[in-house]
Amino acid sequence: MENSDVFSSSTAPLTWHDFLERMRHPSAVDFVKAIKSFIVSFLNNAPDAERDSAAVQEFFGNMEAAFRAHSLWAGSSEEELESVGEGLEKYVMTKLFTRVFASMPEDVKADEQLHEKMALIQQFIRPENLDIKLTFQNETSWLLAQKELQKINMYKAPRDKLVCILNCCKVISNLLINASLASNEDHPGADEFLPVLIYVTIKANPPQLHSNLSYIQRFRRQTHLVAEAAYFFTNMLSVESFIMNIDAKALSMDETEFEKNMESARALLSGLSKSSDTQTQADQKFEHDPNVSVESSETKSKNDEQYGKNQSSINKTPSISDLENKGANMLLKENEASQVFRDFPFLYSQAGDLTVGDVEDLLNNYKQLVFKYVSLTKGLGVKIPSPSLSKAQCQNSEQPEFAKEPEMREAHLTDNTGNYGEVSVFRLENSESKMPEEVGFQSQCEEGNVSPER
Amino acid sequence: MGCSSSVPDRGTGRAGGINPDSGGVIDAKNLRVKGELVLLGDSGVGKSCIVLRFVRGQFDPTSKVTVGASFLSQTVALQDSTTVKFEIWDTAGQERYAALAPLYYRGAAVAVVVYDITSPESFSKAQYWVKELQKHGSPDIVMALVGNKADLQEKREVPVQDGIDYAEKNGMFFIETSAKTADNINQLFEVGLEKLNLIKRLWT
Repeated sequence: MENSDVFSSSTAPLTWHDFLERMRHPSAVDFVKAIKSFIVSFLNNAPDAERDSAAVQEFFGNMEAAFRAHSLWAGSSEEELESVGEGLEKYVMTKLFTRVFASMPEDVKADEQLHEKMALIQQFIRPENLDIKLTFQNETSWLLAQKELQKINMYKAPRDKLVCILNCCKVISNLLINASLASNEDHPGADEFLPVLIYVTIKANPPQLHSNLSYIQRFRRQTHLVAEAAYFFTNMLSVESFIMNIDAKALSMDETEFEKNMESARALLSGLSKSSDTQTQADQKFEHDPNVSVESSETKSKNDEQYGKNQSSINKTPSISDLENKGANMLLKENEASQVFRDFPFLYSQAGDLTVGDVEDLLNNYKQLVFKYVSLTKGLGVKIPSPSLSKAQCQNSEQPEFAKEPEMREAHLTDNTGNYGEVSVFRLENSESKMPEEVGFQSQCEEGNVSPER
Repeated sequence: MGCSSSVPDRGTGRAGGINPDSGGVIDAKNLRVKGELVLLGDSGVGKSCIVLRFVRGQFDPTSKVTVGASFLSQTVALQDSTTVKFEIWDTAGQERYAALAPLYYRGAAVAVVVYDITSPESFSKAQYWVKELQKHGSPDIVMALVGNKADLQEKREVPVQDGIDYAEKNGMFFIETSAKTADNINQLFEVGLEKLNLIKRLWT
């Protein structure tokens, strides 16, 4: 099937709403019944990674076959059938999410190990340690790829999570191709791609990466983890494996140098985690008086030293990314995640959608952003960058709590990757993924089940 | 440099097997074969150039092509109206990433192991990959050994015969290519295609 490609299927119109509409149709009553009873019986069983995965995959396969044979989809295109399959995956997995995501102790342990390792290594790793040629080094633009990857915890559906990985990979791939064209280098291949993906992942350090990958592997519809999606996903698995096993040799470092780096990274992290706790508690105060200092002078001076050294890496330090990750996690837990974003009307706009009348609103939003940003920066003890910053530095100054930030990034993405259409389509698609608690399935269904015909 | 030129394949390498102009439209009812081809070899031997040459050298306007940094796919129509969708998975060749390769070649139908005829080290590395594939790859994987940069005759350090001998000993197809001049690039993929096709026929 040609439409097995995630990139093309993601452009299917109204995937999610279409699914819900169809399920509301009277003739879909048996489907609704089957879905509900599957979810109920699944939740009644004790967790078991392999069995869970097999049960879900089998259910998806059976249901898709039944959809195909049902009059509700008579004369439907492959694309429409495709989209209902996506809808089913999203509905079922959102319902099962808390039960199956990171529910195995070994997954949780791997998450912690991986996260800690990345938190330490990101302090000292250089592109050279991974064989990234100078021509292809572009840390500023790699931030875009990091941001794509960090979104992975904002979604519950396997496909949406996978799309975050694919977007990250696409950004890197396009940056590499552009760099090779600009420098007259050979077309980049995996020799260039994999090292950058490793570097970007370490710097992004998305929480629960291992669980996310296992979850996608187990619950993404298997018929759709193929072709380019499968390739990029395999790269992500290989990134995980590389990072888990990183040692001095893997980074071409001297054994003692590596240990020394790890030690000082540990020291730095323990200092910063103290200060970031204080920071969250003190958020409110900073809003009103940016000069108020609740941090102990010891951690404060540590911060100053750290940030003073390298202004441009502000948001790569663990305190900032930890805060951001924390925020993203909290968002995910909130039932009203979509409510939060509703207050930011431009979040999913593209340049062409805007009118002159929007400028005032945008400007106001911008001013609020700047004010909050400056307050937060003060609060963290970082020097406030001057407004004459280059665009590149501005991108660095993203702050964790602003859900509206992606809008700005989108604009940058267009400039830097030339990948506007594709990536922004994903983003719009992805934005649909917030699940209403109850989807309004008809409840009049009785016991009985769909017999999936094949 | 070599492969980054957008000059189309001058067609020297094209022989009977692949027929990009056949019929134009790919009939959905025709047999379709999907081949996952994995590229292995030291960094700098020109793995990505070879596939780029191949993909760019195909002129069939109906074929769907994906050209990324490390993933390429190309649908090719064969003369018997079979279409083959090639998915080409590139792997990182640097030593530090060697342990990750099995993740990539696990499901591959074809493995193309590339070395640089001007670099004996890359030839030993190629032999390492062949051994790894024999140990961990699928038992019916089709393997090809490719000596690239054949245009650099004056710098040659790996004799053609060495490549031929090693390939023969290990039941591999052998060819020397030049991604720069496009020599033999199509032959390489044709053989891969034909072998795949043959396997497929045996199955069905």
